[in-house]
Amino acid sequence: MGKFKDNYIVKAWLVLSIALIFGSSLAGVEIVLKPKIIANKLNETLSLIPYLIQEKEKEKSQNLKITFNKVEIEKNERKIFYNVIHTSRDGKTAGWVVKSKGPGYADKVELLIGFDPNMKYITGLFVIDQKETPGLGNKIIENNFRNQFLRINTENSLVAVKTGKRHPGEIDAITGATISSRSVCDIVNTVVKDLKQPLGSGSIKK
Amino acid sequence: MEFIAEIFLIAIGAALINNFVLYYFVGICPFIGVSKEVETAIGMGFAVTFVMVIASFISWSITTFILIPGAPISSFVAGFFLTPEKAASIDLTILSYIVYIFAIASSVQFVEMFVKKSYPLLYRSFGVFLPLITTNCAILFACLTIMSNVAGIDNPENAWGLSKAITLALFGGMGFTLAIVIMSGIREELNFADVPEPFKGAAITLIIAGILAMAFMGFTGVDSGIRRLLL
Amino acid sequence: MAELPTPTERFLQGILPENPVYRQLLGLCPTLAVTNNMKSAVTMAAAVAFVLFCANIIISLIRDLLKPHLRIVIFTLTIATFVTIVDKFLAAYVYSMSKELGPYIPLIIVNCIIICRCEVCASKQNVVAAASDAVGQSLGFALALFSIAGVREILGTGAFFELQILPSSWPNWIIMVLPPGAFFTLGLLLGLVNWLSNRSGKKAT
Repeated sequence: MGKFKDNYIVKAWLVLSIALIFGSSLAGVEIVLKPKIIANKLNETLSLIPYLIQEKEKEKSQNLKITFNKVEIEKNERKIFYNVIHTSRDGKTAGWVVKSKGPGYADKVELLIGFDPNMKYITGLFVIDQKETPGLGNKIIENNFRNQFLRINTENSLVAVKTGKRHPGEIDAITGATISSRSVCDIVNTVVKDLKQPLGSGSIKK
Repeated sequence: MEFIAEIFLIAIGAALINNFVLYYFVGICPFIGVSKEVETAIGMGFAVTFVMVIASFISWSITTFILIPGAPISSFVAGFFLTPEKAASIDLTILSYIVYIFAIASSVQFVEMFVKKSYPLLYRSFGVFLPLITTNCAILFACLTIMSNVAGIDNPENAWGLSKAITLALFGGMGFTLAIVIMSGIREELNFADVPEPFKGAAITLIIAGILAMAFMGFTGVDSGIRRLLL
Repeated sequence: MAELPTPTERFLQGILPENPVYRQLLGLCPTLAVTNNMKSAVTMAAAVAFVLFCANIIISLIRDLLKPHLRIVIFTLTIATFVTIVDKFLAAYVYSMSKELGPYIPLIIVNCIIICRCEVCASKQNVVAAASDAVGQSLGFALALFSIAGVREILGTGAFFELQILPSSWPNWIIMVLPPGAFFTLGLLLGLVNWLSNRSGKKAT
């Protein structure tokens, strides 16, 4: 029996030694590259924060303190978690940035939404991930569409309309991409509904 | 209710809207190679679905319990050598690709052995395709999709559970079966058509696949309507 | 047993006569998925070339030690390791590309081109032949990717490498950058290649 086992191990020595060599080289790759990958992921968000909370040009990102928080909400007896970025200057809240995902037309749409300290109005919006139809739905990343959200009051929930906006809380939908426009509005509405109370009232502060 | 709705949306998403073959282009090799007759296409489709579900189950379990930082088994083992905080931060996700490919290979072996012994009839209908499946990208793609919803996401609390992973694999496999069966039906008719010489075989199959993909594009956006109804 | 091709022959065969995409119909999954613009096609071609080159060399170096029944295990292990390295490298240095290509980089593991070259060439011939074979096959694969991506990007967005080249009056054929366009382009180009080679074959006889 022992001989039989030995035989198998001897036969597989090449596989085992190769696995060892590859394993250690992967460990090396991980140690060298992992900090870079994490930094890349963070930078994607961090570089946009000054634009999201409407910084004035000269004080851009200077002594802005950024903290990442996790906010827990209970909704329909289920716990929902949000990633909320709290920015402050000299101990005073400068604004909130919320990262949220929702279904788009083709795939998920991921947004960064900026709010003023009291969650009264939206101060910025970026689409950081989307796979909408090129030429139609992917216009949601363009400034023409994005800028409609600036300084919009969070009192009314947002509606994407096709015929030109008339009332507050209405957003001009992109021609031919009503569903994409609507999904952006829906994501913003959900975030406002869930987080307006906890963030605006100041019950969460770090 | 919300949970059932989510499962339902994953199911139609994987089977129709973002069809594995016609939207993500995975599993093209068997789609072109084994779609000459309806009967073999059905066999291939079932074999892929079967292996996909098992491989997804294995890879979901390994990812959740061993690979991700703070996974129970790896932090338990590492707890013997390291402090608890360090043990909980061990991240083995760099090994995930290697683990998945071996999970697929071994589940193919396992399925082949099991089916051959227990269901010889079934084995005769799709057994010959099983060895081919190891290098089928659709299965690795299902594992990777599940991984992207379990590891490296912002909120670990929103990670996919086993039921969602299995739903994706099952309906993804069914979407593959649907696409390959439709294609084989068309190709059986194609035998009677006068196709220009250079386009015979793969070229005309790809062009038909393009038309099919256009038809399946009609499903895009369906889920947003359903979501509004259900949620 | 027939004589194995020399390194130069291996190199030349890979580019056209045995082109992995147009002739052997291998690796169609990335060929279709990442060719909606030139940038991702270039990244994909480079990633495949790196993995193929490294895997071919390693397999060729250890070819005398390979046991027949453990052969495929070693191929897969080697390929998966190099794919992981490429994946992490892209995520660290070209983050936007790595995000765009997403699962298609790990899917190189099951790309039949690489395992096929390991089996056909690297496990039988010396390092020089294996290396030149890898270079030739990668060039052939890149050629195929670029031809498809070029057609799709130019017709679909009027641009090449994101540089506008068609007049702005060009109505962008959006279908070309969507999934169906990939199938149409590859199908038509494949027909064209078949037609051209049939014609030159007839002339020769």
